[in-house]
Amino acid sequence: MPRQAQPVPAPLSREEPLPSLGRRRFLRQAVLAGGAAALGPALLAACRSGGGDRKRRLVISNWPLYIDPTKDGVPGTVDRFRKQTGIEVSYSEDQNDSVAFFAKIQPVLAAGRPIVQDLFVTPYWLAERLIRLGWADPLPLDGVANASRLIPSLRKPSWDPSGRFTLPWQSGITGIAYNIEATGRPLTSVDDLFDPRLKGKVGFLTEMRDTMGMLMLADGKDITRPSYAAAEPSFARLEQAKKDGQIRAFTGNDYQDDLLAGNFAACVAWSGDVAQLALEQPKLRFLVPPTGTTLWADVMVMPKGAPHRQEAAEWLKFVYDPATAARIAAAVKYISPVAGVQEVLARTPATAALARNPLMFPDREMEARLRVFGPLASGEEARFDERFASITEG
Amino acid sequence: MNVSRRSPRAEARPPLHRQAWLPWLLLTPGLIWLLLWFVLPLAQLLPVSLSENADRFRMTLVFRGRIANYAEVMTQYAPVLARSLAYAAASTALAALIAYPLAWVIRFRGGRWKGLLLALVVLPFFTSSMVRAIAWTTLLGDDGPLLSTLRALGLPPGTRLLNTAVAVVGGLTYNALPFMVLPITLSLERIPTELLDAARDLQAGPWIVFRRVVLPLSAPGLAAGIVLSLIPAAGDVVNAQFLGGPNNRMIGNVVQSLILVQRQLPRGAALALVLMALMTATVLVHVRRHGSSDLTLS
Repeated sequence: MPRQAQPVPAPLSREEPLPSLGRRRFLRQAVLAGGAAALGPALLAACRSGGGDRKRRLVISNWPLYIDPTKDGVPGTVDRFRKQTGIEVSYSEDQNDSVAFFAKIQPVLAAGRPIVQDLFVTPYWLAERLIRLGWADPLPLDGVANASRLIPSLRKPSWDPSGRFTLPWQSGITGIAYNIEATGRPLTSVDDLFDPRLKGKVGFLTEMRDTMGMLMLADGKDITRPSYAAAEPSFARLEQAKKDGQIRAFTGNDYQDDLLAGNFAACVAWSGDVAQLALEQPKLRFLVPPTGTTLWADVMVMPKGAPHRQEAAEWLKFVYDPATAARIAAAVKYISPVAGVQEVLARTPATAALARNPLMFPDREMEARLRVFGPLASGEEARFDERFASITEG
Repeated sequence: MNVSRRSPRAEARPPLHRQAWLPWLLLTPGLIWLLLWFVLPLAQLLPVSLSENADRFRMTLVFRGRIANYAEVMTQYAPVLARSLAYAAASTALAALIAYPLAWVIRFRGGRWKGLLLALVVLPFFTSSMVRAIAWTTLLGDDGPLLSTLRALGLPPGTRLLNTAVAVVGGLTYNALPFMVLPITLSLERIPTELLDAARDLQAGPWIVFRRVVLPLSAPGLAAGIVLSLIPAAGDVVNAQFLGGPNNRMIGNVVQSLILVQRQLPRGAALALVLMALMTATVLVHVRRHGSSDLTLS
């Protein structure tokens, strides 16, 4: 999850011409969307459903810096897709906060109307929620032969047991990033985050499953079938550390700034970010705790009623081609979900080192430490969320 | 005078500014604005705060007249409420202490630079409060310019500023400054210098002049500054989020989390209304004591 704090671009790019709507219809559709909180996406959705949509288009929303950009005259994946297919892609890097995004799209999808995006990239647990609520359409996988290239460890995952609603965009490992100069020693376990010598210099993630998953595994709990009762001791430990001033902050991807600025000596972090940051700060290290940690995936989801299914199929085919997937992987340094990427990277001298990186291509020993945080029943999830928020916001 | 040129018919009609409907006409845009964007959302918030969450993701709320929502949030978040009010009070007091001398200098020593000095006070507020807070994270960081300098001057290593209460109160104080400086300067502006000369003629020393003449006459400005600083500070989200740590969260952060993250709309609404009631009570007490003219400086 390379979530750089960046100005959020409008969800609709300039390339997306707005169909003309009578003012009254426009207002009516906007009002139907319900409430000021939903006004942004609602207005866009109102613009969108204006018919006469014969041009081949595709609206994709992703996290910032999560794809290879067009740089120094070399076209990036989006531009190459545009050129090859003639499809007008509106690709926005406007995913900045998954819970805020859910809050935005919720009233529109609940009202049974399509949102502006045809595809968006979201954390696996949010995809699971959208599938459960009936707000995701099955992906048009019939025409996507490349989908069979999905690596075995991510097939029919717990968040999408049928495997029909999601395809992973990238996957990654939650671990502990630390500045070895600041810690004064290599860190070896989750317990090191609670070392009094690091008091006030430790960060945890606001992403509940990543923080709690790692702590629960350190407590010897099974996170593939999580329960609140099993999590409580880890919550208590986290709460105590917060009260003691051990924890400096709970962050989203802004932990990167704190690590580079020297505010954090150690923090819970995402593998690909650290692989990228280490180029700037050679003293950074990444620990995958021996007690285990979470393997997560950001997945592509098609929201209910998204109109451009054929174009979406072509996109999925394109990004699941090993050559394209290898370019993306080389740029973002996460775990590519596409089989064959390692071989493509190994063939090119410039990227051969990446092919040997266990954070991008986990070996057996690494894989044995990784667990996916299992789905939470609705009531349990509310208890997890509430308890976690009582610590981060209390 | 052109009265003589008026026709007898026009004479019979009251002049435009005496027309009974005119005030209402002038008020209409403001009233519509307030009704649409303030009264209606607020009226909607009340039933939400008394509802129960049947399904937090579908947001199906069932109205149950559930007053317990209020009791629950007030018990659970009492420490955060107390902290928010304490931070707001501290930042307001600090802003008053900084702003008063500043306003005094602008009024009595500003001379032809007065306008420029006032503009400088307001200048940082041309950017958003979030940008200012993020800029502060760089300034206050452990290896940032401020602490590096202080450490060179003998501050013990390990002292932190960022992600502490000091940083949050500092940020709130900074935000409050123009709201304090402007009304105080205005009220000082209205003190005739002759009055000060008269006091001095009567053998009052500088302290007595300040204590018996300047301060009482500028009290309305100070009171207006206090209300204008206190209210936004108590509900602030940005400073605690960027400059505070997990032990410095304010009530705005909790409301945000209840609504966006936890999807507990009824409790979020209840807490927002509790904060609003507290702030309204503060203003009412203020108006009772000082009269509403303080707020308008009239």
